Amino acid sequence: MNAASQAGGAELALAGVGKRFQARDRVVTALEATTLTIENGEFVTLVGPSGCGKSTLLNIISGLTFASEGSVRLDGNTITGVNRSVGYITQQDNLFPWRTLRENVALPLELAGVPARERRGKADHWLARVGLDGFGDAFPYELSGGMRQRGNIIRTLIYEPSVILMDEPFGPLDAQTRIVLQDMLLSIWESARSTIVFVTHDLTEAIALADRVLLMSARPGRIVRADRVNIPRPRNVFQIHEDPEFRRLYNEIWDELRVQVRNVDVAAH
Amino acid sequence: MSTSPPIEESAPAPMTRRRFDTESPWVVNASRLILLIVLFALWEIGGGWLFDTFYFSKPSLIAKAFAKDIIDPAFYTDLATTGLELVLGYVIGGVSGIALGILLARWRFVGKICDPFLLALNSVPRIAVAPMLIVWFGIGYSSKVFLGATLVFFITFFNTLAGIRSVDKALCDIARVMQATEWQIFLKVMLPSASSWILTSIKISLPFALVGVILGEFLVSSQGLGFRLNTYSTNYNITGAMAIVFLMMVLMLLLTAITNAIEARALRWRPKSAAEPVAQS
Repeated sequence: MNAASQAGGAELALAGVGKRFQARDRVVTALEATTLTIENGEFVTLVGPSGCGKSTLLNIISGLTFASEGSVRLDGNTITGVNRSVGYITQQDNLFPWRTLRENVALPLELAGVPARERRGKADHWLARVGLDGFGDAFPYELSGGMRQRGNIIRTLIYEPSVILMDEPFGPLDAQTRIVLQDMLLSIWESARSTIVFVTHDLTEAIALADRVLLMSARPGRIVRADRVNIPRPRNVFQIHEDPEFRRLYNEIWDELRVQVRNVDVAAH
Repeated sequence: MSTSPPIEESAPAPMTRRRFDTESPWVVNASRLILLIVLFALWEIGGGWLFDTFYFSKPSLIAKAFAKDIIDPAFYTDLATTGLELVLGYVIGGVSGIALGILLARWRFVGKICDPFLLALNSVPRIAVAPMLIVWFGIGYSSKVFLGATLVFFITFFNTLAGIRSVDKALCDIARVMQATEWQIFLKVMLPSASSWILTSIKISLPFALVGVILGEFLVSSQGLGFRLNTYSTNYNITGAMAIVFLMMVLMLLLTAITNAIEARALRWRPKSAAEPVAQS
Protein backbone atom coordinates (compact mmCIF):
# COMPACT_ATOMS: atom_id res chain seq x y z
CA MET A 1 0.00 0.00 0.00
CA ASN A 2 1.33 3.39 -0.91
CA ALA A 3 -1.36 5.14 1.13
CA ALA A 4 0.95 5.85 4.05
CA SER A 5 3.06 8.24 2.03
CA GLN A 6 0.19 10.69 1.52
CA ALA A 7 -1.86 9.78 4.57
CA GLY A 8 -3.27 12.57 6.71
CA GLY A 9 -4.37 10.22 9.46
CA ALA A 10 -2.80 8.52 12.40
CA GLU A 11 -1.94 4.99 13.37
CA LEU A 12 -4.41 3.46 15.76
CA ALA A 13 -3.18 0.62 17.94
CA LEU A 14 -5.44 -1.38 20.25
CA ALA A 15 -3.69 -3.58 22.78
CA GLY A 16 -5.89 -6.08 24.60
CA VAL A 17 -8.86 -3.72 24.69
CA GLY A 18 -11.89 -5.31 26.37
CA LYS A 19 -15.08 -4.18 28.03
CA ARG A 20 -17.09 -5.85 30.76
CA PHE A 21 -19.93 -4.52 32.79
CA GLN A 22 -21.96 -5.65 35.75
CA ALA A 23 -25.58 -6.47 34.95
CA ARG A 24 -27.46 -7.36 38.13
CA ASP A 25 -25.92 -10.67 39.26
CA ARG A 26 -23.57 -11.43 36.41
CA VAL A 27 -20.72 -9.87 34.50
CA VAL A 28 -21.42 -9.32 30.83
CA THR A 29 -18.56 -9.20 28.37
CA ALA A 30 -19.38 -6.69 25.67
CA LEU A 31 -15.99 -6.91 24.02
CA GLU A 32 -13.30 -9.54 24.49
CA ALA A 33 -9.69 -8.42 24.71
CA THR A 34 -8.92 -7.20 21.21
CA THR A 35 -5.53 -6.45 19.76
CA LEU A 36 -5.45 -4.69 16.44
CA THR A 37 -3.41 -2.15 14.57
CA ILE A 38 -4.96 0.14 11.99
CA GLU A 39 -2.47 1.84 9.73
CA ASN A 40 -2.24 5.54 9.13
CA GLY A 41 -4.70 6.39 6.38
CA GLU A 42 -6.33 2.96 6.35
CA PHE A 43 -10.05 2.49 5.79
CA VAL A 44 -11.26 -0.35 7.99
CA THR A 45 -14.82 -1.61 8.16
CA LEU A 46 -16.27 -3.65 11.02
CA VAL A 47 -19.13 -6.04 10.29
CA GLY A 48 -20.94 -8.35 12.64
CA PRO A 49 -24.30 -9.26 14.10
CA SER A 50 -26.09 -6.68 16.23
CA GLY A 51 -24.98 -6.45 19.82
CA CYS A 52 -21.50 -7.75 19.01
CA GLY A 53 -19.72 -4.83 20.62
CA LYS A 54 -18.96 -2.80 17.50
CA SER A 55 -20.33 0.38 18.99
CA THR A 56 -18.61 -0.38 22.29
CA LEU A 57 -15.32 -0.53 20.44
CA LEU A 58 -15.95 2.85 18.79
CA ASN A 59 -17.00 4.41 22.09
CA ILE A 60 -13.73 3.27 23.65
CA ILE A 61 -11.60 4.60 20.78
CA SER A 62 -13.45 7.93 20.92
CA GLY A 63 -12.71 8.22 24.62
CA LEU A 64 -16.40 8.50 25.55
CA THR A 65 -16.26 5.25 27.54
CA PHE A 66 -13.32 3.52 29.13
CA ALA A 67 -12.07 0.02 28.45
CA SER A 68 -12.09 -2.44 31.33
CA GLU A 69 -8.69 -3.66 30.16
CA GLY A 70 -6.06 -2.82 27.62
CA SER A 71 -5.15 0.47 26.00
CA VAL A 72 -5.71 2.44 22.82
CA ARG A 73 -2.81 4.33 21.30
CA LEU A 74 -2.95 7.00 18.67
CA ASP A 75 0.44 7.43 16.97
CA GLY A 76 1.93 5.98 20.14
CA ASN A 77 0.05 8.19 22.60
CA THR A 78 -2.42 6.48 24.91
CA ILE A 79 -5.98 7.83 24.64
CA THR A 80 -7.25 8.87 28.05
CA GLY A 81 -10.38 10.77 27.12
CA VAL A 82 -12.13 12.57 24.29
CA ASN A 83 -9.71 13.99 21.85
CA ARG A 84 -10.06 16.28 18.88
CA SER A 85 -7.87 13.92 16.86
CA VAL A 86 -10.72 11.41 16.88
CA GLY A 87 -14.00 12.32 15.17
CA TYR A 88 -17.17 10.31 15.69
CA ILE A 89 -20.05 10.12 13.23
CA THR A 90 -23.14 8.37 14.51
CA GLN A 91 -26.06 6.64 12.83
CA GLN A 92 -28.52 9.27 14.00
CA ASP A 93 -27.53 12.54 12.37
CA ASN A 94 -27.93 14.36 15.70
CA LEU A 95 -27.82 17.78 14.13
CA PHE A 96 -28.82 20.42 16.66
CA PRO A 97 -32.40 21.26 15.69
CA TRP A 98 -32.10 24.89 16.77
CA ARG A 99 -29.10 25.58 14.53
CA THR A 100 -29.15 26.10 10.80
CA LEU A 101 -27.26 23.59 8.70
CA ARG A 102 -24.33 26.00 8.37
CA GLU A 103 -24.23 26.65 12.12
CA ASN A 104 -24.32 22.90 12.73
CA VAL A 105 -21.45 22.23 10.38
CA ALA A 106 -19.42 25.05 11.91
CA LEU A 107 -20.05 23.90 15.49
CA PRO A 108 -16.65 22.26 16.10
CA LEU A 109 -14.90 25.41 14.85
CA GLU A 110 -17.09 27.56 17.06
CA LEU A 111 -16.19 25.40 20.08
CA ALA A 112 -12.52 25.87 19.27
CA GLY A 113 -12.91 29.64 19.10
CA VAL A 114 -12.40 30.07 15.35
CA PRO A 115 -13.58 33.56 14.25
CA ALA A 116 -17.07 33.75 12.72
CA ARG A 117 -15.98 34.80 9.23
CA GLU A 118 -13.51 31.92 8.90
CA ARG A 119 -16.10 29.46 10.26
CA ARG A 120 -18.61 30.56 7.71
CA GLY A 121 -16.15 30.28 4.83
CA LYS A 122 -15.08 26.77 5.80
CA ALA A 123 -18.64 25.61 6.41
CA ASP A 124 -19.76 26.90 3.02
CA HIS A 125 -16.80 25.21 1.36
CA TRP A 126 -17.76 21.85 2.85
CA LEU A 127 -21.46 22.32 2.14
CA ALA A 128 -20.63 22.93 -1.51
CA ARG A 129 -18.36 19.91 -1.57
CA VAL A 130 -21.21 17.56 -0.68
CA GLY A 131 -23.79 19.26 -2.89
CA LEU A 132 -25.53 21.19 -0.12
CA ASP A 133 -24.79 24.70 -1.38
CA GLY A 134 -27.83 26.88 -0.91
CA PHE A 135 -29.03 24.91 2.11
CA GLY A 136 -26.82 26.58 4.70
CA ASP A 137 -29.67 28.60 6.19
CA ALA A 138 -32.12 25.70 6.39
CA PHE A 139 -33.01 24.17 9.72
CA PRO A 140 -32.57 20.39 10.07
CA TYR A 141 -36.31 19.69 10.03
CA GLU A 142 -36.48 21.22 6.55
CA LEU A 143 -33.96 18.74 5.12
CA SER A 144 -34.24 15.15 3.95
CA GLY A 145 -32.53 12.30 5.79
CA GLY A 146 -29.75 12.11 3.22
CA MET A 147 -29.07 15.83 3.41
CA ARG A 148 -28.98 15.76 7.20
CA GLN A 149 -26.55 12.85 7.15
CA ARG A 150 -24.24 14.74 4.76
CA GLY A 151 -24.35 17.64 7.21
CA ASN A 152 -23.53 15.25 10.04
CA ILE A 153 -20.53 13.88 8.15
CA ILE A 154 -19.02 17.21 7.16
CA ARG A 155 -19.57 18.52 10.69
CA THR A 156 -16.85 16.06 11.67
CA LEU A 157 -14.69 16.42 8.54
CA ILE A 158 -14.51 20.20 8.95
CA TYR A 159 -12.15 20.00 11.93
CA GLU A 160 -9.96 17.41 10.23
CA PRO A 161 -9.58 14.73 12.89
CA SER A 162 -6.87 12.23 11.96
CA VAL A 163 -9.08 9.28 12.91
CA ILE A 164 -12.77 9.17 12.00
CA LEU A 165 -15.10 6.67 13.61
CA MET A 166 -18.36 6.01 11.78
CA ASP A 167 -21.15 4.01 13.40
CA GLU A 168 -23.50 2.85 10.64
CA PRO A 169 -23.72 6.35 9.23
CA PHE A 170 -25.78 5.28 6.24
CA GLY A 171 -27.96 2.82 8.15
CA PRO A 172 -31.22 4.79 8.12
CA LEU A 173 -30.96 5.87 4.47
CA ASP A 174 -32.58 4.33 1.41
CA ALA A 175 -30.45 2.19 -0.90
CA GLN A 176 -29.86 4.81 -3.60
CA THR A 177 -28.98 7.64 -1.22
CA ARG A 178 -26.67 5.24 0.53
CA ILE A 179 -24.63 4.51 -2.58
CA VAL A 180 -24.41 8.21 -3.45
CA LEU A 181 -23.08 8.97 0.02
CA GLN A 182 -20.64 6.03 -0.08
CA ASP A 183 -19.25 7.45 -3.29
CA MET A 184 -19.04 10.91 -1.74
CA LEU A 185 -17.26 9.56 1.34
CA LEU A 186 -14.71 7.64 -0.73
CA SER A 187 -13.80 10.60 -2.87
CA ILE A 188 -13.34 12.82 0.19
CA TRP A 189 -11.30 10.16 1.94
CA GLU A 190 -9.11 9.60 -1.09
CA SER A 191 -8.01 13.22 -0.97
CA ALA A 192 -7.72 13.60 2.83
CA ARG A 193 -6.54 10.07 3.71
CA SER A 194 -7.55 10.12 7.32
CA THR A 195 -7.79 6.82 9.17
CA ILE A 196 -11.37 5.55 9.15
CA VAL A 197 -13.05 2.89 11.28
CA PHE A 198 -16.49 2.28 9.81
CA VAL A 199 -19.11 0.05 11.41
CA THR A 200 -21.86 -1.41 9.24
CA HIS A 201 -24.39 -4.22 9.03
CA ASP A 202 -24.15 -4.27 5.29
CA LEU A 203 -21.47 -6.57 3.90
CA THR A 204 -21.62 -5.02 0.43
CA GLU A 205 -20.91 -1.61 1.93
CA ALA A 206 -18.15 -3.05 4.12
CA ILE A 207 -16.26 -4.53 1.17
CA ALA A 208 -16.94 -1.66 -1.23
CA LEU A 209 -15.38 0.92 1.08
CA ALA A 210 -12.62 -0.87 2.92
CA ASP A 211 -8.95 -1.61 2.68
CA ARG A 212 -9.62 -4.26 5.32
CA VAL A 213 -12.86 -5.85 6.51
CA LEU A 214 -12.96 -7.07 10.09
CA LEU A 215 -15.66 -9.55 11.03
CA MET A 216 -16.83 -9.64 14.63
CA SER A 217 -18.52 -12.54 16.39
CA ALA A 218 -21.77 -12.54 18.28
CA ARG A 219 -21.52 -11.57 21.95
CA PRO A 220 -19.05 -11.71 23.54
CA GLY A 221 -17.62 -9.65 20.70
CA ARG A 222 -14.24 -10.44 19.24
CA ILE A 223 -12.66 -10.18 15.82
CA VAL A 224 -12.89 -13.58 14.12
CA ARG A 225 -11.71 -12.74 10.66
CA ALA A 226 -9.83 -10.04 8.79
CA ASP A 227 -9.77 -9.74 5.00
CA ARG A 228 -7.77 -7.35 2.90
CA VAL A 229 -9.75 -5.95 -0.02
CA ASN A 230 -7.51 -5.86 -3.07
CA ILE A 231 -9.84 -3.97 -5.34
CA PRO A 232 -7.92 -1.04 -6.87
CA ARG A 233 -8.85 2.53 -6.07
CA PRO A 234 -10.52 4.79 -6.98
CA ARG A 235 -13.42 2.38 -6.84
CA ASN A 236 -16.77 2.66 -8.50
CA VAL A 237 -19.26 1.82 -5.78
CA PHE A 238 -22.09 1.86 -8.30
CA GLN A 239 -20.58 -1.08 -10.20
CA ILE A 240 -18.58 -2.85 -7.53
CA HIS A 241 -20.91 -5.83 -7.27
CA GLU A 242 -19.69 -6.88 -10.74
CA ASP A 243 -16.06 -7.11 -9.64
CA PRO A 244 -14.88 -10.76 -9.36
CA GLU A 245 -12.68 -10.00 -6.34
CA PHE A 246 -15.68 -8.41 -4.66
CA ARG A 247 -17.80 -11.51 -5.30
CA ARG A 248 -15.17 -13.90 -4.04
CA LEU A 249 -14.71 -11.92 -0.81
CA TYR A 250 -18.42 -11.44 -0.34
CA ASN A 251 -19.15 -15.15 -0.53
CA GLU A 252 -16.28 -16.06 1.75
CA ILE A 253 -17.11 -13.54 4.45
CA TRP A 254 -20.83 -14.17 4.16
CA ASP A 255 -20.34 -17.89 4.94
CA GLU A 256 -18.75 -16.88 8.21
CA LEU A 257 -21.11 -13.98 8.96
CA ARG A 258 -24.14 -16.23 8.46
CA VAL A 259 -22.90 -18.48 11.26
CA GLN A 260 -22.44 -15.48 13.57
CA VAL A 261 -25.85 -14.06 12.80
CA ARG A 262 -27.44 -17.46 13.52
CA ASN A 263 -25.66 -17.56 16.88
CA VAL A 264 -27.31 -14.32 17.88
CA ASP A 265 -30.64 -15.74 16.86
CA VAL A 266 -30.13 -18.85 18.97
CA ALA A 267 -28.96 -16.86 21.96
CA ALA A 268 -32.01 -14.64 21.79
CA HIS A 269 -34.47 -17.52 21.94
CA MET B 1 -16.35 13.64 -6.70
CA SER B 2 -19.94 13.12 -7.41
CA THR B 3 -22.10 16.18 -7.24
CA SER B 4 -25.41 14.49 -7.23
CA PRO B 5 -28.41 16.76 -6.82
CA PRO B 6 -29.62 17.00 -3.24
CA ILE B 7 -32.30 14.52 -2.42
CA GLU B 8 -35.46 16.33 -1.55
CA GLU B 9 -38.64 14.94 -0.21
CA SER B 10 -41.49 15.60 -2.55
CA ALA B 11 -43.91 18.27 -1.40
CA PRO B 12 -47.39 17.07 -0.47
CA ALA B 13 -49.86 17.30 -3.32
CA PRO B 14 -51.69 20.64 -3.18
CA MET B 15 -55.14 20.29 -1.73
CA THR B 16 -57.95 20.96 -4.10
CA ARG B 17 -59.61 24.15 -2.91
CA ARG B 18 -63.14 23.61 -1.82
CA ARG B 19 -65.64 26.40 -2.08
CA PHE B 20 -65.74 26.69 1.71
CA ASP B 21 -62.16 26.11 2.78
CA THR B 22 -62.23 25.39 6.52
CA GLU B 23 -58.41 25.58 6.60
CA SER B 24 -58.23 29.14 5.33
CA PRO B 25 -57.44 31.68 8.06
CA TRP B 26 -59.87 34.12 6.43
CA VAL B 27 -62.76 31.71 6.78
CA VAL B 28 -61.77 30.85 10.36
CA ASN B 29 -61.41 34.50 11.43
CA ALA B 30 -64.64 35.56 9.74
CA SER B 31 -66.48 32.73 11.48
CA ARG B 32 -65.00 33.82 14.81
CA LEU B 33 -66.18 37.38 14.25
CA ILE B 34 -69.68 36.20 13.36
CA LEU B 35 -69.84 34.06 16.49
CA LEU B 36 -68.74 37.02 18.61
CA ILE B 37 -71.36 39.32 17.09
CA VAL B 38 -74.10 36.71 17.52
CA LEU B 39 -73.23 36.16 21.20
CA PHE B 40 -73.18 39.90 21.93
CA ALA B 41 -76.41 40.43 20.00
CA LEU B 42 -78.21 37.67 21.95
CA TRP B 43 -76.95 39.17 25.19
CA GLU B 44 -78.02 42.67 24.15
CA ILE B 45 -81.46 41.66 22.92
CA GLY B 46 -82.09 39.21 25.77
CA GLY B 47 -81.20 41.77 28.46
CA GLY B 48 -84.26 43.03 30.30
CA TRP B 49 -86.44 40.42 28.64
CA LEU B 50 -84.88 36.94 29.03
CA PHE B 51 -82.87 37.92 32.11
CA ASP B 52 -82.49 40.79 34.52
CA THR B 53 -79.80 43.31 33.51
CA PHE B 54 -79.25 44.03 37.20
CA TYR B 55 -77.59 40.62 37.51
CA PHE B 56 -76.23 40.05 34.03
CA SER B 57 -75.99 43.56 32.52
CA LYS B 58 -75.73 43.87 28.75
CA PRO B 59 -73.13 45.03 26.21
CA SER B 60 -74.48 48.56 25.68
CA LEU B 61 -74.57 49.20 29.43
CA ILE B 62 -71.05 47.82 29.82
CA ALA B 63 -69.81 50.07 27.02
CA LYS B 64 -71.37 53.08 28.75
CA ALA B 65 -69.83 52.10 32.10
CA PHE B 66 -66.47 51.73 30.41
CA ALA B 67 -66.84 55.14 28.80
CA LYS B 68 -67.43 56.57 32.25
CA ASP B 69 -64.37 54.77 33.60
CA ILE B 70 -62.02 56.15 30.99
CA ILE B 71 -62.85 59.77 31.78
CA ASP B 72 -62.16 59.15 35.48
CA PRO B 73 -58.52 60.14 36.32
CA ALA B 74 -58.48 57.59 39.17
CA PHE B 75 -59.03 54.87 36.59
CA TYR B 76 -55.60 55.57 35.11
CA THR B 77 -53.99 55.37 38.52
CA ASP B 78 -55.66 51.97 38.94
CA LEU B 79 -54.53 50.83 35.50
CA ALA B 80 -50.95 52.00 36.09
CA THR B 81 -50.84 50.41 39.55
CA THR B 82 -52.00 47.02 38.33
CA GLY B 83 -49.79 47.29 35.26
CA LEU B 84 -46.72 48.01 37.34
CA GLU B 85 -47.49 45.20 39.78
CA LEU B 86 -48.09 42.82 36.90
CA VAL B 87 -44.85 43.67 35.10
CA LEU B 88 -42.77 43.55 38.29
CA GLY B 89 -44.32 40.29 39.49
CA TYR B 90 -43.96 38.69 36.08
CA VAL B 91 -40.36 39.76 35.53
CA ILE B 92 -39.17 39.02 39.06
CA GLY B 93 -40.93 35.64 39.13
CA GLY B 94 -39.77 34.70 35.64
CA VAL B 95 -36.16 35.75 36.01
CA SER B 96 -35.74 34.12 39.42
CA GLY B 97 -37.55 30.96 38.29
CA ILE B 98 -35.36 30.55 35.22
CA ALA B 99 -32.21 31.42 37.17
CA LEU B 100 -32.90 28.94 39.96
CA GLY B 101 -33.97 26.31 37.44
CA ILE B 102 -30.65 26.68 35.62
CA LEU B 103 -28.73 26.65 38.87
CA LEU B 104 -30.37 23.51 40.24
CA ALA B 105 -30.14 21.72 36.91
CA ARG B 106 -26.40 22.44 36.79
CA TRP B 107 -25.88 21.66 40.45
CA ARG B 108 -27.48 18.25 40.39
CA PHE B 109 -26.84 17.26 43.99
CA VAL B 110 -28.40 20.39 45.44
CA GLY B 111 -31.19 20.07 42.89
CA LYS B 112 -32.05 16.58 44.08
CA ILE B 113 -32.11 17.74 47.69
CA CYS B 114 -34.32 20.72 46.97
CA ASP B 115 -36.80 19.04 44.61
CA PRO B 116 -39.34 17.81 47.22
CA PHE B 117 -39.20 21.06 49.18
CA LEU B 118 -39.97 23.12 46.12
CA LEU B 119 -42.79 20.76 45.16
CA ALA B 120 -44.22 21.13 48.67
CA LEU B 121 -43.96 24.92 48.53
CA ASN B 122 -45.66 25.00 45.17
CA SER B 123 -48.54 22.89 46.44
CA VAL B 124 -49.50 25.53 49.00
CA PRO B 125 -52.59 27.37 47.73
CA ARG B 126 -51.59 31.04 47.46
CA ILE B 127 -54.92 32.21 48.77
CA ALA B 128 -54.15 30.44 52.05
CA VAL B 129 -50.97 32.39 52.65
CA ALA B 130 -52.08 35.64 51.06
CA PRO B 131 -53.20 37.25 54.37
CA MET B 132 -49.76 36.46 55.85
CA LEU B 133 -48.09 38.05 52.85
CA ILE B 134 -50.06 41.23 53.55
CA VAL B 135 -48.73 41.14 57.11
CA TRP B 136 -45.16 40.62 55.91
CA PHE B 137 -45.10 42.92 52.91
CA GLY B 138 -47.66 45.51 53.95
CA ILE B 139 -50.69 46.68 52.03
CA GLY B 140 -48.68 48.45 49.35
CA TYR B 141 -47.86 47.04 45.96
CA SER B 142 -45.03 44.75 47.14
CA SER B 143 -47.44 42.12 48.50
CA LYS B 144 -49.21 41.99 45.10
CA VAL B 145 -45.94 41.80 43.22
CA PHE B 146 -44.85 38.95 45.47
CA LEU B 147 -48.11 37.02 44.97
CA GLY B 148 -47.84 37.33 41.20
CA ALA B 149 -44.14 36.48 41.29
CA THR B 150 -44.58 33.26 43.31
CA LEU B 151 -47.08 31.89 40.78
CA VAL B 152 -44.83 32.75 37.83
CA PHE B 153 -41.72 31.57 39.64
CA PHE B 154 -42.80 27.97 40.08
CA ILE B 155 -44.06 27.59 36.54
CA THR B 156 -40.84 28.89 34.98
CA PHE B 157 -38.67 27.14 37.56
CA PHE B 158 -40.08 23.64 37.05
CA ASN B 159 -40.11 24.01 33.28
CA THR B 160 -36.53 25.27 33.13
CA LEU B 161 -35.40 22.41 35.35
CA ALA B 162 -37.28 19.79 33.34
CA GLY B 163 -36.11 21.30 30.06
CA ILE B 164 -32.45 21.18 30.96
CA ARG B 165 -32.76 17.72 32.49
CA SER B 166 -34.46 16.35 29.38
CA VAL B 167 -31.63 17.35 27.05
CA ASP B 168 -30.72 14.64 24.54
CA LYS B 169 -27.57 12.97 25.87
CA ALA B 170 -26.46 12.16 22.32
CA LEU B 171 -26.21 15.89 21.53
CA CYS B 172 -24.05 16.42 24.62
CA ASP B 173 -21.80 13.55 23.49
CA ILE B 174 -21.43 15.12 20.04
CA ALA B 175 -20.15 18.30 21.63
CA ARG B 176 -18.01 16.32 24.08
CA VAL B 177 -16.28 14.43 21.25
CA MET B 178 -15.44 17.83 19.78
CA GLN B 179 -13.88 18.64 23.14
CA ALA B 180 -16.41 21.18 24.26
CA THR B 181 -15.86 22.35 27.83
CA GLU B 182 -18.62 21.64 30.35
CA TRP B 183 -19.49 25.33 30.20
CA GLN B 184 -19.78 25.21 26.39
CA ILE B 185 -21.97 22.11 26.59
CA PHE B 186 -24.23 23.97 28.98
CA LEU B 187 -24.32 27.13 26.91
CA LYS B 188 -24.54 25.64 23.43
CA VAL B 189 -26.40 22.39 24.01
CA MET B 190 -28.38 22.33 27.25
CA LEU B 191 -29.69 25.87 27.30
CA PRO B 192 -30.84 26.03 23.65
CA SER B 193 -32.36 22.58 23.99
CA ALA B 194 -34.33 23.76 27.05
CA SER B 195 -35.33 26.99 25.33
CA SER B 196 -38.66 25.65 24.07
CA TRP B 197 -39.60 24.60 27.61
CA ILE B 198 -38.51 27.93 29.04
CA LEU B 199 -40.32 29.99 26.41
CA THR B 200 -43.49 27.99 26.83
CA SER B 201 -43.40 28.54 30.58
CA ILE B 202 -42.89 32.26 30.06
CA LYS B 203 -45.96 32.25 27.87
CA ILE B 204 -48.27 30.18 30.07
CA SER B 205 -47.28 31.91 33.31
CA LEU B 206 -48.42 35.36 32.13
CA PRO B 207 -52.10 34.94 33.06
CA PHE B 208 -51.01 33.62 36.45
CA ALA B 209 -49.12 36.82 37.13
CA LEU B 210 -52.39 38.68 36.72
CA VAL B 211 -54.22 36.19 38.95
CA GLY B 212 -51.69 36.79 41.73
CA VAL B 213 -51.83 40.56 41.42
CA ILE B 214 -55.65 40.76 41.33
CA LEU B 215 -55.89 38.33 44.23
CA GLY B 216 -53.62 40.58 46.27
CA GLU B 217 -55.64 43.65 45.35
CA PHE B 218 -58.86 41.91 46.34
CA LEU B 219 -57.55 41.25 49.83
CA VAL B 220 -56.29 44.67 50.80
CA SER B 221 -55.68 47.63 48.53
CA SER B 222 -56.59 51.22 47.90
CA GLN B 223 -55.90 51.29 44.19
CA GLY B 224 -55.56 49.00 41.19
CA LEU B 225 -57.94 47.33 38.77
CA GLY B 226 -58.63 44.61 41.33
CA PHE B 227 -59.57 47.27 43.85
CA ARG B 228 -61.90 48.96 41.35
CA LEU B 229 -63.45 45.64 40.38
CA ASN B 230 -63.95 44.71 44.01
CA THR B 231 -65.52 48.07 44.78
CA TYR B 232 -67.96 47.73 41.89
CA SER B 233 -69.03 44.19 42.72
CA THR B 234 -69.45 44.79 46.45
CA ASN B 235 -71.73 47.70 45.51
CA TYR B 236 -73.79 45.40 43.23
CA ASN B 237 -72.54 47.36 40.22
CA ILE B 238 -72.40 44.30 37.95
CA THR B 239 -72.14 46.44 34.83
CA GLY B 240 -69.07 48.29 36.12
CA ALA B 241 -67.48 45.04 37.26
CA MET B 242 -68.04 43.45 33.86
CA ALA B 243 -66.43 46.41 32.13
CA ILE B 244 -63.28 45.83 34.19
CA VAL B 245 -63.39 42.07 33.54
CA PHE B 246 -63.59 42.71 29.81
CA LEU B 247 -60.74 45.20 30.04
CA MET B 248 -58.58 42.59 31.79
CA MET B 249 -59.52 40.02 29.18
CA VAL B 250 -58.51 42.29 26.31
CA LEU B 251 -55.27 43.31 28.03
CA MET B 252 -54.33 39.68 28.59
CA LEU B 253 -55.11 38.80 24.99
CA LEU B 254 -52.81 41.58 23.81
CA LEU B 255 -50.00 40.55 26.15
CA THR B 256 -50.41 36.90 25.16
CA ALA B 257 -50.19 37.87 21.51
CA ILE B 258 -46.85 39.51 22.28
CA THR B 259 -45.48 36.46 24.11
CA ASN B 260 -46.78 34.21 21.33
CA ALA B 261 -44.96 36.26 18.74
CA ILE B 262 -41.74 36.15 20.76
CA GLU B 263 -42.07 32.39 21.16
CA ALA B 264 -42.76 31.83 17.47
CA ARG B 265 -39.75 33.93 16.49
CA ALA B 266 -37.41 32.22 18.95
CA LEU B 267 -38.60 28.72 18.07
CA ARG B 268 -38.67 29.08 14.31
CA TRP B 269 -36.36 26.06 14.09
CA ARG B 270 -39.22 23.82 15.13
CA PRO B 271 -41.36 22.20 12.47
CA LYS B 272 -44.83 23.67 12.24
CA SER B 273 -47.06 21.33 14.16
CA ALA B 274 -50.02 19.76 12.48
CA ALA B 275 -52.24 21.55 14.99
CA GLU B 276 -51.39 24.95 13.53
CA PRO B 277 -51.75 24.84 9.78
CA VAL B 278 -49.31 27.03 7.89
CA ALA B 279 -50.98 30.25 6.84
CA GLN B 280 -51.71 30.09 3.14
CA SER B 281 -53.85 32.61 1.25
